[in-house]
Amino acid sequence: MDLFLPCLYAFLACLGFCVLFRIRGLGAVLCSLGGALAWLVYLVSGPLSGGIDFLQYFWAAVFLSAWSEGMARLRKCPATGYQLIAFLPLVPGAGIYNMMEAALRGDTQGFLSTGLHTLGIAGSLAVGVLVVSSLVRMLSHRRGPG
Amino acid sequence: MDYDKLLSLSGTLGYHLLLSGAEIYRVEESVGYLLRAYGVETGEVFAIPNCIIVSLTTPEGRVLTWVRRVPDHGTDVSRMEDLNALCRRLCAQPPDLAAASALLEEAVRDRPQPGLPLRLAAYFLITSTFCLFFGGTAADALCGGLCGLAVGLVLPPLTRLGANLFFRTMVGGLSCGLTAAVLTALGVGEHLDLILTGAIMTQAPGLVVTNCMRDLMAGDVMSSLVKLAEALLTGAGIALGTGVALGLAQALWGVL
Repeated sequence: MDLFLPCLYAFLACLGFCVLFRIRGLGAVLCSLGGALAWLVYLVSGPLSGGIDFLQYFWAAVFLSAWSEGMARLRKCPATGYQLIAFLPLVPGAGIYNMMEAALRGDTQGFLSTGLHTLGIAGSLAVGVLVVSSLVRMLSHRRGPG
Repeated sequence: MDYDKLLSLSGTLGYHLLLSGAEIYRVEESVGYLLRAYGVETGEVFAIPNCIIVSLTTPEGRVLTWVRRVPDHGTDVSRMEDLNALCRRLCAQPPDLAAASALLEEAVRDRPQPGLPLRLAAYFLITSTFCLFFGGTAADALCGGLCGLAVGLVLPPLTRLGANLFFRTMVGGLSCGLTAAVLTALGVGEHLDLILTGAIMTQAPGLVVTNCMRDLMAGDVMSSLVKLAEALLTGAGIALGTGVALGLAQALWGVL
């Protein structure tokens, strides 16, 4: 249950974003499922990462990019759409808010520590995405749009 | 071949891709592919989130350049997919330029947006589930959802009035904070911080930060900096809005 419920919440939240970002039908379900599974990967990889949450974010991003690249191939559309939304439970939106809130309070220490942590998370996610997309690009040698 | 028309076709494609929220590298690649599909090997594209420049040299040696600024925009994945599919089609079998322009016009025609009730339901769903996701109780989720509704109601009129990003997020944060403070003061919500964190998730710039890091690593430093500034502005806007709201609530009720 500890694993299931957060993933369910992630799924529902992604579904809501699908409406706002105009993804319909099967695509919406697939990409929300990706978001939920990515959060599962994040949770499961906890013990494997020695308590470093950057690594957890990295693994979740690797999984999610692989998932969206796979779905994009399967359904012949860009991977971006899936990635955008499925990443929302992972991305450090609350972190930026906390950081600016600390800045407003005049809490410079809090501002710097939450800020660096947020940038670290964003960096780990971006590295995870880049690793997979670079591999896909190298392996497929495609010429042409997409 | 009419190179002016080709330039405006490829530029317009890039413009609409940017407007639909596509990544910088996708915009630059798509325009490059389109130019090459029509036999132009000397085309250059430069895009940042709010501007696109396309330039090409005709076989006679004439240099043509096309610049277009891109206004504040959201993300429209279905349009991005349509444009991408169109670009594939044009590159596979380039039709004559008039037909291609007609196809592009067709792809970017305004389609009905999801209705307000559906969008509000989406706002409610997102914010309430994020409250639960961050560890809130069912009551917190209800409050978070209501805050989400407040944001969803406030944003469309602001967008229609042409308010800029910073002002929009600030008012969004303000409505969020006021609703959360009132509901907590009434005893409905239990954890104000969790409610707020969940409720701001529809506006939070997490995706922008991640895209910013990705652009930076991919070598698009300019667009990465533009996005970083946008993320910081958005974060500051939300924090200011909620800060003002909570300060007001504290002064009025003396609670919290």
